[in-house]
Parts: sequence; structure tokens; C-alpha cells
Amino acid sequence: MLQVNDLNKVYEGKVAYRALTDINMEVGKGEFVGIMGPSGSGKTTLLNLVATIDQPTSGEILIEGKDPHQLSKNKLAKFRRQQLGFVFQDFNLLHTLTVEENIVLPLTLDGKKVKEMKEKANVIAEKLGISHIMKKRTFEISGGQAQRVAVARAMIHQPKLLLADEPTGNLDSKSSRDVMEMLENINETEETTMLLVTHDAQAASYCDRVIFIRDGQLYSEIHRGESQKGFFQKIIDTLSLLGGNDNDFSSIRS
Amino acid sequence: MTFRQFALNNVLRNKRLYVAYFLSSMFAVMVFFTFSIFAFHPAFQTGDMPSSAMKGMLVSGGIIYVFSFFFVLYSMSSFLQSRKKEFGLLMLLGMSSRQIRRMTFLENMLIGFLATISGIGIGLVFAKVILLIAEKVLVIDETLNFYFPLEAIGLSFISFILLFFVISIFVTFILRTNKLVDLIKSDKKSKGEPKASIILTIIAVLLLAAGYGTALYVEGIQVVMALIPVVIVVTIGTYLFFTQLSVYLIRRLKKNEHIFWKKTNMLLFSDLSFRMKDNARTFFLVAIISTVAFSAIGTLFGFHSYLMKGLKDANPYSVVYESVEDEDVQKQISAIDQIIADENVTANKEVVEMNYFEIGIDYPVLIVKESDYNRFAKLLNEKEIKLKNKAVVVSDNQANIGNFQNEQKLMEIGIPLKSGEKVQAYSEVSTSVLQEMNAYYIVRDEVFKQLPSAVKQTTFAAWMTKQADEEQLVAIGEKVFDHFDEYHNAFSMDYTIYEIDKAYGPILFIGLFIGIVFFVSAGSFLYFRLYSDLDDDKEKFQAIAKLGLTNNELKKVINRQTAILFFAPIIVALIHGAVALTALMHLFDYNLVKESAMVLGGFALIQIAYFFIVRYFYTKQIQQAIK
Ligand SMILES: Nc1ncnc2c1ncn2[C@@H]1O[C@H](COP(=O)(O)OP(=O)(O)OP(=O)(O)O)[C@@H](O)[C@H]1O
Ligand SMILES: [Mg+2]
Repeated sequence: MLQVNDLNKVYEGKVAYRALTDINMEVGKGEFVGIMGPSGSGKTTLLNLVATIDQPTSGEILIEGKDPHQLSKNKLAKFRRQQLGFVFQDFNLLHTLTVEENIVLPLTLDGKKVKEMKEKANVIAEKLGISHIMKKRTFEISGGQAQRVAVARAMIHQPKLLLADEPTGNLDSKSSRDVMEMLENINETEETTMLLVTHDAQAASYCDRVIFIRDGQLYSEIHRGESQKGFFQKIIDTLSLLGGNDNDFSSIRS
Repeated sequence: MTFRQFALNNVLRNKRLYVAYFLSSMFAVMVFFTFSIFAFHPAFQTGDMPSSAMKGMLVSGGIIYVFSFFFVLYSMSSFLQSRKKEFGLLMLLGMSSRQIRRMTFLENMLIGFLATISGIGIGLVFAKVILLIAEKVLVIDETLNFYFPLEAIGLSFISFILLFFVISIFVTFILRTNKLVDLIKSDKKSKGEPKASIILTIIAVLLLAAGYGTALYVEGIQVVMALIPVVIVVTIGTYLFFTQLSVYLIRRLKKNEHIFWKKTNMLLFSDLSFRMKDNARTFFLVAIISTVAFSAIGTLFGFHSYLMKGLKDANPYSVVYESVEDEDVQKQISAIDQIIADENVTANKEVVEMNYFEIGIDYPVLIVKESDYNRFAKLLNEKEIKLKNKAVVVSDNQANIGNFQNEQKLMEIGIPLKSGEKVQAYSEVSTSVLQEMNAYYIVRDEVFKQLPSAVKQTTFAAWMTKQADEEQLVAIGEKVFDHFDEYHNAFSMDYTIYEIDKAYGPILFIGLFIGIVFFVSAGSFLYFRLYSDLDDDKEKFQAIAKLGLTNNELKKVINRQTAILFFAPIIVALIHGAVALTALMHLFDYNLVKESAMVLGGFALIQIAYFFIVRYFYTKQIQQAIK
């Protein structure tokens, strides 16, 4: 499904900064992969490259065997909004729109039927517990609600590949579990491939596999065994090996 | 770092944000300064300027100044609007609101000072250009040479420093009322939609209908009386139209998900409604200002053409002479011959005795021989007359508009001959071959011989020059004018037109200038409106681009957004302008359709060009932002 070969990213600027070095990884169809690492280690950068929002300096990214970076701009735009779903670290919601309108926005651009859009939005809002705020504007909702709205928008079109950058960053542990369970559910029922960046070991323990990044390089990788509890413990262990006291990192970053 | 340094640095580091505000302030200074260069121009100070024109200048200067005030105030308030969040953060970090007010005050004075200086600088260059154009286009006697306008510089400098001072103080008062939480969320929160009520919407429609109805219905001098009430009614109507009707329409649109959720509509209309309050105000201002521009220029242009139209047609000869009593006709005619010859111009000439007869109506009627008439017709290259019967009635087709009763009388009465018989005219003709005010007869030469003796005799002479240029004709006209300074019984139309142009030139110039200034200002209002949202738009499109927005979709949204901004107010202004010019037509009872169409069409074209230019740059900016 997703293959990343020798990926490098250098941010040009006054001082060039190497954010990613020789990343190689593979994600199978329907796999649920977590990415963890200290702040500034390059997780968002990696996600942005996979999401075709940013261009790699070298190396290639293949989604279903094809390199989306080769597509023309317009095709790329369509590809993104039809095949991919994102949850951005900073939500990326439009403040001129209501919650509901934000959720259906990707569908409206594709000229879907209003009834169909409404149904989908309602179903997903129900699942995420945001039905009661559908008519509100974005400045009238809390950070955690905004995060769930962003999740809803990323999933409404049932993308093949869902990329989520700290989707539980602003949530209490109950809501966080709800969101993760829903993601897991979607992952299982719809076979959506998922790539999830998180600082939260609890959330990461829902994944099939967790990849650790440090200083822009792959550090290690652990697989989930039979039990989520055991996996959670393994993640905690690796994190402490990794060095960052990383667990209490989920603050506001917008 | 002292506080003053902080304020200074704030301006210098936030260049981009300040540039727009700076430019529009500078623009206001430049306009006023350019205008005062003219007002103080030696050519206008000589005293030959009609006092009405001087007064016009003064009033215009006042209008421009008042207008500048609002223009700067408006620019400043949208500038501050876009910085509210910054203020909020500064206050959050512990700056007192007093300090913020002091900072904006210092900033504003700094910007104002720089804008005044550079406005004057650029104004000097601009004035040079305008002076060149004015010299070319308008008949202004002394050449409008460039001079170093010390008075104008002084006046502009003092006026604008004062203006910025007042506005800066004014603005610190506005800032006083803001709550911190409002400041911080200001970029996310809509400034609120104006309240739309059905009643006000209906009132808007009624007011516009009443205003238009009155303007189109009244005629003649009533137009002047109706002017002020109609202007007030239409202005209020326009305000309500934009604040009520537009809100109402967009609300309806937003409610209808089948439209609102269709493709890019959501992006377009959500923004429109988000900025509705600002937009409505801008639309209103732009519509009114453009209407003023259209009407001012249309009126002047129309009035000019009203004055000129027909003068040349009614007086096709180069020079005409009509003797007065006890005048040495021969001497006068050869004097004119001499004047023409002195200018090295050759001319054809015809002379005729004009005989007036008593035929029993209230004035002595001119009767001319067919052959005499035809000599003059030939001189003008007009159609000669072949009388089918003994006589016709002629009315001068320009001189006596609406004097048809006289013709009617002549048709009925007939010409009494010596013999006591009467000759009846068989037809009516209309020409301007002989410059006769009243209706007259042309008769066959043999009929002329049978007429009784004339009660009045004058001599009429006309010259047609061959290949003379405008300048020579005017020179001839001036000499003729001077020579016949007693009775002015000889004149040249070219000179008269030149004289009218000369008197009219400055007025036309000022009118044009003000009209153009207003129109350009309207344009920069729009520009300012658009660009104060640029950052918001960039952010928005960046966000959507991440989700996937094709270039075409982007262009479509920007295109519509810009088009609504640029054309909604202008279309209203064009309609207003058309109604105003129609009322003007009714005032003069003169057809101005061509002139109106030219003025309004010209402005529409400029606006379209402006739209394309701005759209191009705006799209480019956004595209760059999302890469
Ligand atoms: N546009 C950019 N230009 C230059 N450097 C950048 C840019 N974006 C990110 N960086 C740098 O690249 C590194 C990786 O950034 P990235 O956003 O990928 O971190 P992250 O792993 O997502 O961190 P966090 O957990 O805090 O979100 C950081 O050191 C950051 O400073
Ligand atoms: Mg990140």
C-alpha cells in the first residue's frame, strides 16, 4: 500500500535543516501504524511528505505502487481529497464555516448529493459525539471538539489512507479512547490503512505496529502481540530508551 | 529600547501590513496636493477667471479635503482591524491599553508624516504630467507651465499633518472600548452580519423606486428642485440596499444547502457572509462615490456638448456680417476682406440685400429672391432651391426651434403684391443658409419684382474660407470681434467656440479631475477591501489546498469573489448615473444619450480592466502562498 524508499528532507532556508534522513518503510494494506518520537524529530514532516503536501528532497514515496508526487497539480489535488484523509496537528478548520460545513467541505468540492453528504456527516458526528455542535462556528467549540471535527472531516469520504497527526492531542483519556476505538473500528471494517503520529502511548497501543523516529532517522519498530496491555508496556519501555520524557507532551500547539 | 523605538520598529518590521495603509494615505495627499497646484497656479490667478470658476475651485478643494479625511479614516480603521489580534497579544503580554494607544498614535503620526512627504513628492511629478495633459486637451490661454508650487506645498503639508493628527487621536479613542477576548478572537469571529429585516428591505426597494421615479418623471426646472431630496432618498436607499438586501440574499443562499453545498459555493459564500458588514459598507461607499464621479463628468461633458451642439451647424460660415443702420457697408465689408487677407487666407464671399416687408403680421418679414438664396447655398455647398411654384416659406432650422406658429402664419397669409394680388407659399423648407431669426419667404425672381417697397433693408455678407486651419480662423475671428466692437454685427463662430472653450476649460478640467479622483478612490477602496482580507484568504486557501483544491477551483472562487466585489457596487453606480443623466436630459430638454453612454461605458470599461488586473495579482499572491 505505502512504500517509502530512501526518503530525505532538507528544509532550505537561511540555515538548511535536515529533517529526515534515509527513511525506508513499508505499510501494508489495512495496516494501522503508529509513529512516535520526541518533539522535533520529524514526524509531521514525514506525514506531510506522504500526504504529498510537501516535496521530498530525495527518495520516493509510492502509494499503491504509484508515486503521487509525479501527478500533475490538478490530479494531485483530486487524488488527495478523494484517496487520502488527514487530521492535522493544528486542525486546519475554516473559521468562516460551521462545524458541519467543515466536515462536508471535501465532499462538496466533488459535487456530491446534499442528502448523501448530510447522512454521512450525521453518522460520523454521532460516532464522534459532536452531533450537538454541528451548527456552531469553530471559535465557539473547545480544542478537543475541534480535534474531533478534524477527525470527522478526514474520514467522511472513507479514504484509502488516513494520515493523522496527533488526533488525540487535546482529548481527555476517555475521549481519546473513543477516538482511537473508532479509528480501530474503521481500520477493521473498511480496511483503511492508517498512519498515526502520537505522543500518547495509550493511543499508540491501538496500532498494529509502532515506528520510532529520532533526529529524523528510524530508530526502532515494535509489533503488537496478542495483548494491548503488553504492547503498551513495550511502547513505554522503548520511549524511555529513546530518551525524550515524551509522555506528557500533548499540549496545545496551534 | 525606549517605547518610541519600539513603535518605530513595529512599523519597519511589519512593512507589508503597513504598505497598503501607507499607500492609500499617500494617495489622498497626492490628490489634494495636485489639486492645490492647480488652484494656486499663476494661470488661474490672473483674474480673467470667472469668479464662479474660482468658487468652484474652492468648493472642490473643500470636497477633496473632506473626502480625504474619510478616506484616510476608513483606510486606518481597516488597517487597525487587521491588527486587532496583534494588539490583543500585546495586551495579553502585559502592555497596558494606554501604551497601545500611544503606540498606535505614534505609528499613525509616523505613517502620516511619511505619507504627506512622499505624497507631495509624487504629486509634483504627477502634476507635471497632468499639466501637460491639461494643456493638450483644454483651451487654457496662458500655457500651464510647471512652476514650483510653494503655496500648494505649504497648504498640503499643514492640512494633512493636521488631518493625521486628528485622526490619530480619534483612533486612540476607538481602541479604548475593546475587550481583550474580543481582540484575540477578532480574526476568527465574524464582525457580525448587519441585521436584515423584511421591513427595511421593503423600505430599501421603496426608497430606490421613489427616488428613481421622481428623477425620471420631473422635467425642466423641477429637476433642480427635486435634486436634493432625490439624492438623499437614493443614498439612504442604496445604503439599505447593500446592508439589507445583500444580507437577505446571502442568508437565503446559505440556508439552501442545495446551492450552498454545491462545489466551490461554500467557500465563496461563507466568506461573503463572514465579511458582509465590511463589504456592505464598502459597496455603499463605492457606489455613492462612483455615482458622484459619473454624474459630475457626465454633467460637464453633456453640458459642454449642449452648449456647442448646433452652434457650428447654425453658423456654418467662417465669418458673417449684417449691416446696422447708418453704416458704411462697403467699408466694413472690405475691412473684413482685409482681415482675412492679412491672415493669408483666401475666402469666397457673397453679399445680398435683405429686404423686409410688411405683410400684416407682428414683424416685418424677409423676402429673398430665389437666385440670391442659391448664391449663398452654393457658397455653403448646400442644396440649391428650385421653386416649383411662386414661393416657399423657410424657417431657419437652428435659430428658431419651436417657432412653428410663425411659419404656420406665413403659410396662411401669403405675400401681397403691388397689384393687390396675393402669392401663396406652397411648401415649407428648413435650412440655415441665411442667418435669419424668423421665418421668411423665398420667391421667384420675377415675383420679387412685383413686390411693394420694402420697409427695412440691411446687407448680409458671408465668407467661406478655403483651407484655413483652426488657429487662423480664431485669429480672424478675434480681429473681426475687435473691429466690430460697437455693435458686434459681424462675427466668426470659430472664435466664439474658442472663447466658450476658454471660459469653460478650467471648469471642465476641475470637474474631470474631481470625477477621476473620486473614481480612482472608489477603486482603491475596493483594492483595500480585497487586500485587507488577503492574509485571511491565504490562510483559508492554504488550509483547503492541503485537503486538495485544484487550480481551476481556486481560480473560480477568486474570480467570483473579486467579480462580486468589483461589479456589485459599480453596476448600482452605473444605474444611478444613468438615472441622474436622464434627469439632466430632462432639465435641458436635450438628448444626451450618446454622451451618457460614452461616459458610463468608458467608466465601465476602466472598471473591467481594473478588475482583470487586480484579479491577476490577487490570484498570483494566493497561488504563491499555497505553492
Ligand atoms: N517549514 C520548515 N522549515 C524549516 N524547518 C522546519 C520546517 N518545518 C519543520 N522544521 C524543522 O524540522 C524538524 C522536524 O519538524 P516536525 O514538525 O516534523 O517535528 P515533529 O516531529 O512533528 O514535532 P512535534 O512532535 O513537536 O510536532 C524540527 O526541528 C523543525 O524545527
Ligand atoms: Mg508535529
